[in-house]
Amino acid sequence: MARMKFLCDAERCIECNACVVACNNEHEVPWGINRRHVVTMKDGEQGEKSVSVACMHCTDAPCAAVCPVDCFYTTDDGIVLHDKDICIGCGYCFYACPFGAPQYPEQQAFGVRGKMDKCTFCAGGPGEDNSAEEFEKYGKNRIAEGKLPLCAEMCATKALLGGDGDEIADIYRQRVMKRGGRPQTWGWETAYKEGES
Amino acid sequence: MAQLIRRAGAVLTVTLLLGGCYESPDVTLHEPGEYKGPDDPFLEKAADPEHQEQLQQRLARGQTDR
Repeated sequence: MARMKFLCDAERCIECNACVVACNNEHEVPWGINRRHVVTMKDGEQGEKSVSVACMHCTDAPCAAVCPVDCFYTTDDGIVLHDKDICIGCGYCFYACPFGAPQYPEQQAFGVRGKMDKCTFCAGGPGEDNSAEEFEKYGKNRIAEGKLPLCAEMCATKALLGGDGDEIADIYRQRVMKRGGRPQTWGWETAYKEGES
Repeated sequence: MAQLIRRAGAVLTVTLLLGGCYESPDVTLHEPGEYKGPDDPFLEKAADPEHQEQLQQRLARGQTDR
């Protein structure tokens, strides 16, 4: 059985934020919410690196461990999903998550927290697959259609990979071998080792 | 004698102060509770080997390096 994972190749990510836009557009997420975000280190300096971060669908998910109403469940292939009808918007999962994945729409006055929203690995939530109700709450269920997460599928530099963890690890391992270990420089040559692929 | 009492007092104070800084290394680990919401029909589909194969092919087609 596959274990679904995301991996972002920091050597290739160019901080275009297309993954963020694609996710927001595909799932029509509420205003103020980004299920995915791009984090940049050393912005504007030599050695700048960016990584695209969302829910990492942890094997031992801390969000699920701290949830007081047990609204989380994990699919056989390791996708962590949650039920918005059970969620009380307490924010415990936000504190527990090391990636800042859980988000809360501010739909009312005084910043009242709405139900938690997070990346679903494009696998929706409880309810009939790709029904209007599922789409409204969780967005599109691409996995049920035999597709992979849009953020990874449309990444122009193939920095963001999403799918079976073993396959993704193989792709990344091959890249690292081509690059010759841990790169000390940065740029196109480092990321693609032009002429060898 | 007074010096001895002062020393003993100082040792006791330091011990109590340091004792206050002690933190138990035992961490309470919480296991996730059981999900009690409605069933997700997607779970059955996700476990289907044919569906898994479809996703593998999709990954190989779209995300491997060319």
